[in-house]
Amino acid sequence: MSNKILKVDNISYSVKGEAGRISILKNISFDVEKHKGLGISGESGSGKTTLGRLIAGILKPSEGRIIFNSSGGFNTKKAKRIQILFQNNGEILNPFRKISDIVDEAISINSGKKDIKEKRIALFNSLNFSKELWNRKGFELSGGEQQRAALARLLAVKPELLILDEPFSAQDPESQLNFLNLFNKIKAEFNITLICIAHNLRILRKLCDEIIIIYKGELVEQGKTEEIFNAPRHPYTKFLLNAEDYNLTYEELKTSF
Amino acid sequence: MLSVSFKSIKIKYKNQDRVLLHDIIFQLTENKINVILGKNGTGKSTLIKALTCLLDERFYSITGSVLLDKEDLLLMSLPELLHIRRTKIRYVFQDAINSFDPLKKTGFYFREFGNDQNINSLINDFLLPEKEKLFRLYPYEISGGMAQRLLLILALLANPDVLILDEPTSGIDTPVTNLILLRLREFVKNSKKSVLLVTQDLEIAKNAGERISFLSGGTLSPFYDAKEFFETQRISEAVDFISAYNQLL
Repeated sequence: MSNKILKVDNISYSVKGEAGRISILKNISFDVEKHKGLGISGESGSGKTTLGRLIAGILKPSEGRIIFNSSGGFNTKKAKRIQILFQNNGEILNPFRKISDIVDEAISINSGKKDIKEKRIALFNSLNFSKELWNRKGFELSGGEQQRAALARLLAVKPELLILDEPFSAQDPESQLNFLNLFNKIKAEFNITLICIAHNLRILRKLCDEIIIIYKGELVEQGKTEEIFNAPRHPYTKFLLNAEDYNLTYEELKTSF
Repeated sequence: MLSVSFKSIKIKYKNQDRVLLHDIIFQLTENKINVILGKNGTGKSTLIKALTCLLDERFYSITGSVLLDKEDLLLMSLPELLHIRRTKIRYVFQDAINSFDPLKKTGFYFREFGNDQNINSLINDFLLPEKEKLFRLYPYEISGGMAQRLLLILALLANPDVLILDEPTSGIDTPVTNLILLRLREFVKNSKKSVLLVTQDLEIAKNAGERISFLSGGTLSPFYDAKEFFETQRISEAVDFISAYNQLL
């Protein structure tokens, strides 16, 4: 287990509804190896984001457990070393604070006040976060710039596991490619484990070593990226791959809704 | 038939007029899905809003003409424009969920169509839950993909001549996009109908676009058919865009 950073052990998650509990995720188990990239895919509403939030410790599973194996040893409670990049980065950047202040604060939380400026500059440089943006405030940045700023803030605390929630949606192909290259660079340079949630399977192929597919709250397929693409076993995975070509007929679509 | 000729679209900024878009001339081809591609922030949404004067005239000034069956929309009064937006030109905007009033159930929007038999068949076509269940939902209870489909149904019920969609794939999963495409293809088969779709998603442009043009540097390229657009690299501004897409494949 020492090469595993995360063990998701038979977790379920449900919420209270008008008529009893509504199940969001059911009996999900998987492991994540250190320094690897795991992709989580599935249709909207399948529970991908909920799973990300459970791993980050923002939500508590109704059943089962999530074990995080940080460099300090196994710990089920203090999962400090997990950071999550939300879909909407406005959520984590204070719109009225300077980006450099936000990042400085995060650096000092992690490693004290020493050499803050040097660390910040090194961090910004490795993220290609251009200099004229350093002193801008959250609201003065475009969506893509906010995403880079948010990443700087997340990486400032030196996480061991970074969760990306739909980091490519609402971006044009050029920015998608830029971010893809950036994430691959971060993975290598910061010695980090990545979990990427995305409905776009093609992009996951370029970033992840393994992929799991969630369908209606259940894990239906798990495997090495190439296996999933070349020899998908579950009908839903096949369906998703076909859907990427936008060529499905009404009858085929009907089976999955 | 929609025929557009914008000399310029300007915005007032710190007491100066800034040109956002200029020299945009195109005609929508009937019975086709017409696609305008462009990167983030090139003015795609501004362009489609300008077509029926949806831009706030306190801040924007438009010179040119938008002819729908030989009548200039830019010269129309507000009641005339409202009529056009209700019957002839319908929009489905980005982030569909924000088009709904959070305090009204979805059934509210279907009242004006009474017992139109098309409602049931459209709900069926779009693979939504049955009417009794669907019409009792509030916007916070539906997903983005459902909101998108509901807006499309509402647009189609009005039987417009022109259907305009803004980034129909952003935040929507591929099966829903698939379904929407099927319906759009069917829609343009009917006489005199056309679709205008603006997007940054090359995948949908490639699959849906029968006529494609590229918006960059404030102006619009001519429309090409999909094969020509992707293979001949006619438009130099789009070369990087297409190559980034190919690298992602």
